Amino acid sequence: MGLEFLTRVRRSTILAGAAAALVFTTYAGLRPGLAWGLGIAWSLVNLSLLQALVVALTGRERGSRPAVKRAVTAAVAMLALFGAGGMLLVTLPPLWTLAGFLVPLLVLVLKAASMLLLRSRVWRWLVASPWRASVALLAVVVAAWWAVPALFGRPASASAPRAAAGARALDHALAAGSNPAQTSGSANSGGNPAPSSGPANAGANPAQTAGSARASEPSAPAASKVPETETSQGPEKFPNAITVVSRANPHAEWAHVLHQYEAVIFAWFVGLLLSVFAFLATRKPQMIPGPLQNLVEGLVEYLHGFIAGIIGKRHANRFVPFLGTLGIYIWAMNLIGLIPFMDSPTSSLNITFALAIVVFLYAQYVGIRSLGPVGYIDHFMGQPRTLIGWGLVPLMLPIHVMGELAKPISLSCRLFGNIFGEDMLLVAFATLGISVLAWSHLPFGLPLQVPFLLLALLTSTLQALVFMVLSTIYILLMLPHDEHEHEGEAQHAH
Amino acid sequence: MPEPREPKDRYSALRAGGLLLAIPTLLIVAPLVGFFLGSQLDRWLKTSPWFGILGLGLGFAAAGRETYLIYRRYQHDAAEERSRRR
Repeated sequence: MGLEFLTRVRRSTILAGAAAALVFTTYAGLRPGLAWGLGIAWSLVNLSLLQALVVALTGRERGSRPAVKRAVTAAVAMLALFGAGGMLLVTLPPLWTLAGFLVPLLVLVLKAASMLLLRSRVWRWLVASPWRASVALLAVVVAAWWAVPALFGRPASASAPRAAAGARALDHALAAGSNPAQTSGSANSGGNPAPSSGPANAGANPAQTAGSARASEPSAPAASKVPETETSQGPEKFPNAITVVSRANPHAEWAHVLHQYEAVIFAWFVGLLLSVFAFLATRKPQMIPGPLQNLVEGLVEYLHGFIAGIIGKRHANRFVPFLGTLGIYIWAMNLIGLIPFMDSPTSSLNITFALAIVVFLYAQYVGIRSLGPVGYIDHFMGQPRTLIGWGLVPLMLPIHVMGELAKPISLSCRLFGNIFGEDMLLVAFATLGISVLAWSHLPFGLPLQVPFLLLALLTSTLQALVFMVLSTIYILLMLPHDEHEHEGEAQHAH
Repeated sequence: MPEPREPKDRYSALRAGGLLLAIPTLLIVAPLVGFFLGSQLDRWLKTSPWFGILGLGLGFAAAGRETYLIYRRYQHDAAEERSRRR
């Protein structure tokens, strides 16, 4: 463990601490978040000064005049730092500040423990087989699933009202037929002879018949008691597996949680599917590939050529893993919504925004790596070189920051709008199909949405490509390049 | 010795399309971002509506700047493509 280890500790602390500070600022308030962040910053500076002191006292140059000077400077700075630490504890919430102080130490301990673990025989035995590793990972996830709520979960009394509210909402949704599928079901049982708002095609998606059966039988009398304001929630998407499960268990809190996080669950599910697919395809690579290996190799080759065509061959190998994964993941998430009982996670703004934030952070990271921290700030200030340039910095800086912030928002809104719109289009035409056959009281409608399913196949692919192309271009705009018309000038980014 | 040709030929149209596709949403979103940030500042500093208006103006400027940069890159790529074809 050398100085490089400490550098890694610092880097990990900064990343984890910044992420946690954002979370604490959002959920606990500005002062706790600030105390946490400043506590970490204090501890990191302290660690650096300590490192400088130890190196000066024990390094090769120990005893020499510059080394003594460095040691004295570090000691004096540490004294000043302790004074600043005291001020922080007095002015900011002390518990949050202390917690921030401890973060680098915690990271240090965890990193040292992980180094020991990685070299151990048990670890090597565990990772030698992917199956053993998967089982171990599953065990850790299950343990975390149980341990985290037990340690940090809400007390039962606090969660009860929320659970009851969730259950009530589900009850109302079930009883009132706010879901289009349920209205069509009511029509079938004679409760509502003219289903004007039921868009779901019962024949196309069995989930809807299941939901409608539940809706029409036991809770039909309750429908009249539900206030109109609570039932008019606008058009809904086709029910998916999670919706069906949560409606089957309207009083269970876990069903409410599942329903609330269904976009995230489907996103994880798609990630898991892709991981298994990639694992199976690359498990035993052959010189003469089988169908699965052939498919994956073809896809990777196509993506490599595609991205290299945009970003240039020189940068392709560096960015294809990230951008290609992003493209395939979004494509799979778009397409999975076309399967009955499934839902497109990309029809939720939370998911698309999260994806766009990942692209945004990665683009900034690329910018810092390729331009250097000073070059990056210089780039944001509009590269001022003259007095007028420096005078324009207060104007250029916010303009540039807004331009950068607009990129992830435009990316996420475009993908969300297109996929959500596509889902709504399918629902609308399924509704029309049911309305056309409403007079016959048949438990299904005309499958008018089928042509639009084919269209959705195309738009899902196109939207995944557009997201990938624009992400590539945002990263490209961050890279320094030599323009033909500026051959004599230094490299710069846009 | 000339550098090996990059595989740009097959995807140049897509690249141009992608570049130009970024413009419309940026033109809409950047002023909205500016207005939102300005309004938040107004709320904190109780200076409504001045920072909102300023943010909106800066947002429009940011949108114009991003559009200009994207268009410049598009022109650069188009010129490169033309010279390659010759």
